[in-house]
Amino acid sequence: MDTLLQILFNGLSVGAVYALFALGYTLVFSVLGVINFAQGAVFTLGAYFTYLLIGGAVGANGLLAGLALPFALPFWLALPLAGLAAALVSLLVEAVAFRPLRRRRAEPLLYLITSLGAGVILVNLIQLLMGAEGYSLPADSLGALPVALNLGGAQVRTVQLVLLGVSALVLIGLTLWLEGSRGGKALQAVSEDATTARLLGIDSDGMILLSFAVSGFLAGISGGLVGLSISITGPYFGIGFGLKALGVLVLGGLGSVPGAVLAGLIIGLAEALVPSELSGYKDAVAFAFLFAVLLLRPQGLLGRPQVTKV
Amino acid sequence: MIDPTLLVQMVLGALLGLSVYLPLSGGQLSLATPGFYAIGGYMAALLSTGWPALGGAAPLYPLPSLLLELGLAGALAAAVALAIGGPVLKLRGIYLAIATISLVEILRVLNLNLPFTGGAVGIFAIPQPFSDPAGYLGAALLLLLLVGLLCQRLEGMRFGRAQAAIRDDELAASCMGIDTARVKLTAFVISAVIAALTGVLSAHFLNTWNARQGSFDASITTLAFVVFGGSRSWLGPIAGGLALTAVPELLRPIGDLRLIVYGLVIVVGPVFFPQGLITPELLKGLARWWPWRQREAAP
Repeated sequence: MDTLLQILFNGLSVGAVYALFALGYTLVFSVLGVINFAQGAVFTLGAYFTYLLIGGAVGANGLLAGLALPFALPFWLALPLAGLAAALVSLLVEAVAFRPLRRRRAEPLLYLITSLGAGVILVNLIQLLMGAEGYSLPADSLGALPVALNLGGAQVRTVQLVLLGVSALVLIGLTLWLEGSRGGKALQAVSEDATTARLLGIDSDGMILLSFAVSGFLAGISGGLVGLSISITGPYFGIGFGLKALGVLVLGGLGSVPGAVLAGLIIGLAEALVPSELSGYKDAVAFAFLFAVLLLRPQGLLGRPQVTKV
Repeated sequence: MIDPTLLVQMVLGALLGLSVYLPLSGGQLSLATPGFYAIGGYMAALLSTGWPALGGAAPLYPLPSLLLELGLAGALAAAVALAIGGPVLKLRGIYLAIATISLVEILRVLNLNLPFTGGAVGIFAIPQPFSDPAGYLGAALLLLLLVGLLCQRLEGMRFGRAQAAIRDDELAASCMGIDTARVKLTAFVISAVIAALTGVLSAHFLNTWNARQGSFDASITTLAFVVFGGSRSWLGPIAGGLALTAVPELLRPIGDLRLIVYGLVIVVGPVFFPQGLITPELLKGLARWWPWRQREAAP
C-alpha cells in the first residue's frame, strides 16, 4: 500500500518531467507560433540514446541487432550527452520540416503536417534500426545509490528523487538563462516580435535554431529520465508522452514557463492520485483536465488572454 | 491492377478527408474526426454482434440492419457533436485543435477501458453485409458520392459563403450579420456524422474494431489528407485521402522502409504543393476544357 507521501513523490517526479518536456514545445511555439509534432519522437530518441550510452545492447530485431557501444558511461554523463544528441536531431528536424516551409512563407497549418511526417520518419528509423521491442535501463544505472530511500517513514524510490532533482536543476538553469543572459533575452525578444527583434540586430534565424536545439535537449533529457524511471516500451512510446506534454503546455497557458511547471505538477499529481483499480483511465486524466480548463479558461491557467485587435 | 480491398480503404480515407475538410473550410481546425469515426465503428460493432434481431447470424448481414446502424451512428455522432460543439467551437486555431485532440484521446481511453467495448482486443467477428470487397466498394463509393454532392451543394449555398467569410475573417463575418456560432456548429455536426457513417462501413469492412481505430495519429493523418489534397475545394480532401491511403499500401513491397518513405512524402509534399494537389487555379484550368461550361458574363 502506497502512503500518501509516496503518491505525492510519484506525482511530483512525473509532473516535473512533464513540465520539462512541455517547455521544449513552448520554446519553439513562442518563437515560430507553431507546434512541433516531432517532439515526441525526439523524446523517444533521447531515451534510446541514454540507453545506448550507458552501454545497453541493441536487441535481436533491428538492423543493428546485437550491437553495443564499446564504452559504458555512467547515467549522469549519459543523460546530458543524450540530450545533446537529441538537440542535434531537433536541428535536423528544423532543417527538413520547418526551414523549407519558412522560406516559402507557407501557412502555419502545413508545419503540423511536416513535423508529424518528420516524427513518423524518426520513429520508423528507430524501429528499423533497433526493432520494435521495449528496452529498460539496468537497475544499477544510478551506480552506488540505493534503490529506495527512507524519508520520514516512507520508502521513496531513488529514481523519483533523481527525476525531481534533475528536472528542478534544468528548469532553474533554463529560467536563469532565459531571464539573465543575452541569448535568452534575444530569444524572448524574437518571440515577442520577430521583425522588431531583427531591426534591433538580433539574428532571428539563429534564435529559431537555438530554440529548436534547446527544445530538443529538453525533450531528450525528459526521454532519458522517463526511460530510467519506467522503461522504454518501444519506438512509439514518446508519442503518448508528447501528446500529454502538449496538454500540459496548453493547460498552463501557451508560452508561459511558470504555467507549464504548475500544469505539469498538477497533472502528475492528479494521475498519481487515480486509484489503482481505475488505472486504465489514468491516461485520460490529463486530457479531461485540459478539456475542462480549455472550456472555462481558454488561455490556460497562467496564460495571457488572447486579445483580438481589429 | 489495384486490389479492391485497397480501393475500399482509399474511398474510406477520402470520406474521412471530407469530414476534416468541412470545418476547415470555415477556418476551424477541428481534429475530432477519428473520435466520431470510432463512435460509428463501435456502434456498428456492438449492434451487429450484440443484437441478434438485426440478423448477425445470417450468412450475409441484412442491408436494412446496416442502414439502421448508419442512422443510429449518425444520430449519436450528431448528438455528441451538438452537445460539445457549442463550448468547444468558441476556441480558436491551435486551441481548438488541441481541445479536439483531447476529446479523441479521452474517447480512446474510454473505449480501451469501458466494460462493453472489448478492451485492447476490441470487438471481432463483425458480420459481413457484402460477400466481397466489390460490395463494400460500391457502398463506400455511394456514400462518397452523396457526401461529395452535399459538399458541392453546401458551397453554393448561403451556408458555404458564410463558411468562406468566416475563414477569411471571423470578426468581419459576424459584423456582416452571419451567425458564426451556428455556421461553425453546423459544419462540426455534419463533419461528425460523415466520420461516424464512415466508421460504420469501416467496422464491417475490417471485421474487427478496437481502440486503435481512433487515435491521435489518425487525427493528424486525416488532416494530412486535406492539406495534401488541397483545402480550397471539396475535391482536394478526396484526392488527398485517396492518395495518402494508397501510398503506404503500395509501398508494402519495400517492407520496413515504407513508413519512412511515407513520412518523407508528408514532409516534402507541402513544400512543393503548399496549396495541395487540387488548387483553385487547377480547377479553373480544367473548367476551360469543360465543354458544357456556361458562358462568362460580359464585364
